[in-house]
Amino acid sequence: MRSFSSRHLLDHAFSGLSYLSIGFMVAALLVILGPIAIRGIGAYCFRGTIEFRLFVLERFHRGSAERIGEELQVARRAREPLYEAMRAFEADLENDPALRRKLGGDYRQFQTAVRELLGPLPWDPAPLLMRQQYGQTRWDRALIKQRKALYREEWDYSDPSRMGVQVWRPRRVHYQGTRLEPAFDQLEHRLAEMLRPRWTFYGRFLTDPSFDAHFFGGIWAEVLGTLCLTLGAMLFGVPVGLLSAIYLAEYATEGRLMHLLRIFINTLSGVPSIVFGLFGMAFFIHTLGVTDSKSVLAGSLTLALLILPTLIRASEEAIRAVPAAYREAAFSLGASRWHTVTTVILPAALPGILTGTVISLGRAAGETAPIIFTAAVSLGEPLAWRRLLTMPTPALPWNLYNLSTEHAAVDEIRHVQYGMALTLVALVLALNLAAILLRARVSRKLRG
Amino acid sequence: MRWEDATRWMGTMVLLGVASLSILAVLFIFYFIAKEAIPFFAVRGFREFFTSPEWYPSGHPPRFGTAAILYGSALVTLGAIVVAVPIGLSAAICLSDLLPFAVRQAAKPIVELLAAIPSVAYGFFALVVLAPLLQTRGGLLFRTVVWAIGAPVGAILALMLSQTISLRFPARWQRGAGLVLLAGLGLAAWALLRSLAGRAGQLTVESGTNALNASLILGIMALPTVVSVAEDALQAAGREIREGSYALGATRSETLLRVVLPASLSGLAAAVILGVMRAVGETMVVWMASGNAAQIPRPWYNVLSPVRTLTATIAGDMGEADHVTGSERYAVLFAMALTLLVFSLLCNLVGEWLVRRSHRRWSGG
Repeated sequence: MRSFSSRHLLDHAFSGLSYLSIGFMVAALLVILGPIAIRGIGAYCFRGTIEFRLFVLERFHRGSAERIGEELQVARRAREPLYEAMRAFEADLENDPALRRKLGGDYRQFQTAVRELLGPLPWDPAPLLMRQQYGQTRWDRALIKQRKALYREEWDYSDPSRMGVQVWRPRRVHYQGTRLEPAFDQLEHRLAEMLRPRWTFYGRFLTDPSFDAHFFGGIWAEVLGTLCLTLGAMLFGVPVGLLSAIYLAEYATEGRLMHLLRIFINTLSGVPSIVFGLFGMAFFIHTLGVTDSKSVLAGSLTLALLILPTLIRASEEAIRAVPAAYREAAFSLGASRWHTVTTVILPAALPGILTGTVISLGRAAGETAPIIFTAAVSLGEPLAWRRLLTMPTPALPWNLYNLSTEHAAVDEIRHVQYGMALTLVALVLALNLAAILLRARVSRKLRG
Repeated sequence: MRWEDATRWMGTMVLLGVASLSILAVLFIFYFIAKEAIPFFAVRGFREFFTSPEWYPSGHPPRFGTAAILYGSALVTLGAIVVAVPIGLSAAICLSDLLPFAVRQAAKPIVELLAAIPSVAYGFFALVVLAPLLQTRGGLLFRTVVWAIGAPVGAILALMLSQTISLRFPARWQRGAGLVLLAGLGLAAWALLRSLAGRAGQLTVESGTNALNASLILGIMALPTVVSVAEDALQAAGREIREGSYALGATRSETLLRVVLPASLSGLAAAVILGVMRAVGETMVVWMASGNAAQIPRPWYNVLSPVRTLTATIAGDMGEADHVTGSERYAVLFAMALTLLVFSLLCNLVGEWLVRRSHRRWSGG
């Protein structure tokens, strides 16, 4: 009796460990998707400042010019005391070489921080770069810039056993008694009046083009590129996949040829995605010369090859799942094989085929490696209708990589990166959820 | 009638032609990769490529030794397998044997969603969330992981050991001996875990993008493959042997461990191999998360140092090499791609063979 109970205890422990593994997968899913979802929403929904509204008005002509003009007047009035103090201090710097030596360098840092926070100073010449023409468009970024203006970043090396520690020292102590001192109070307590943050829903993030290396605007070029690449891949992949599946399920007889076909389809599905990219470049671009350099066409063809095995397998499975009675009934009415396939089998297998197609769509949308050498560029115009297939294009997955690793100001545009990640993940997961629901319906129908 | 036969034959041939496009694609892929790779090997030989760790493609003279990069790929893949195989196999067991039908239907989409998330999103997570976390809170993280994994595993091991040993005592003392042993072993396990966790907490991570980061994420990415192939294998073993085992009085864990797992071993091996393939061929995650330093870590097992993999090298270097199409620098990337291709082909063939073997065995063919 004793050993019996201990065996059962172990049994339960074993089950518990297995359940833990499912729990781990759920946790992994949540931990990975959580930050992307939460901070990704921040690209669409955030506290936008007056600078944001000004930018949208000037570049996209959206919003009421009157209201924004009035608001801008109020904001400018709130900024005036700060600028007043700066003007006065700059005059002192001009006249006092000792002060210039002591604080000149540091003041320039302060000045830069204020420029980044509120846009060009009233006495600045008009800047060239767009990112210097506007202040911070987002309140969360503004708070970071505010800290940069109020505090000095220093490195503490006092503990030799550790690496330097970053510390923020208040800047105002150095300016005590100067005419800049009131500026710090202004910056610290009246920033909200200067920038007038307000909750903004920026749904057009999805459909606005980007400006100045993604500092401003949305991600339309990337979204459009991804859509075109994916649909292009479908255009080439689905007919081939469907016909192959029809051959495999309805025409081929089990034997050598079939076995060979299966081995090759499996091999194709095992080719690493980066190798597809190399092949696409070497074959479609350098050998066939479908276009002179990277293009949507070359990228779509490469992606079509990549998803071909998934398409074939899913369609074949769906066709095979059609009950034999359908086929026999059609044959007994004297229909030819092809006629049976097109009028009886395919309509019955359609939901299953669609499921596979939708999953492949998601796969094609998210793949990065195959399009690096065949289609994707990091900066580019949204695709134009007339040269839809022959242009290279930015694409969500590639630009997410590019913006988060190679962009000159990676930290400044985190929200854009998260927004892109969320958009891509949402697109792919929506497609997959659709497939899952579709399949659930099919299996309910088959069970009757 | 003749005419109709001819059209039918033509139609079948057209379909066959379309279906053979897959064959053509594979052959073309091999041809076009090999076309650039073979001249490279012909000129420089295999020895430098496979054995030298010196990767200076733009040096004077250039050096194309990929030993460090091959090692990086191997290390990261091994790490991914360490994560994916235990979790994947037990999840597969859970899905095929433990969960009731309704829950299983709800749990499967989780696996599918994990498979569906684009690799670049995984890479983004690794780079932007996990890497800074490892760098600033690495010690705390390691300590938590040691406790989270060690505590349940230690508890079960202590339970199993104490039960097994107490059976050797005379029946009268079994209960007492079992309890004493359990307490002792539990204490020992706790002490061991404590010291391990203490040591893990001392570790400092110099760079958040390293082999560990890449392995962890790759492991999660390989999970769906491992789970679905392994679950198929477990299902293929059939009800009969399970029911036979239960009829003999075995518990569920005994049935699974001693009967079902051995019976579906070849399918489970296929799951591991296909998981390896998934990890080796993955590009974006390793490119973003592994640190991209072409060096063999010192000491060799140091997973906290940055490494570089084949896929990441191809992706990263082609941008620079593309301007000099036809040069050795361009060709060496194709040589790497050929290496990858041959490796994944072998994995695929072995995996397929194992899957077919396990199915044949249980369908009686």
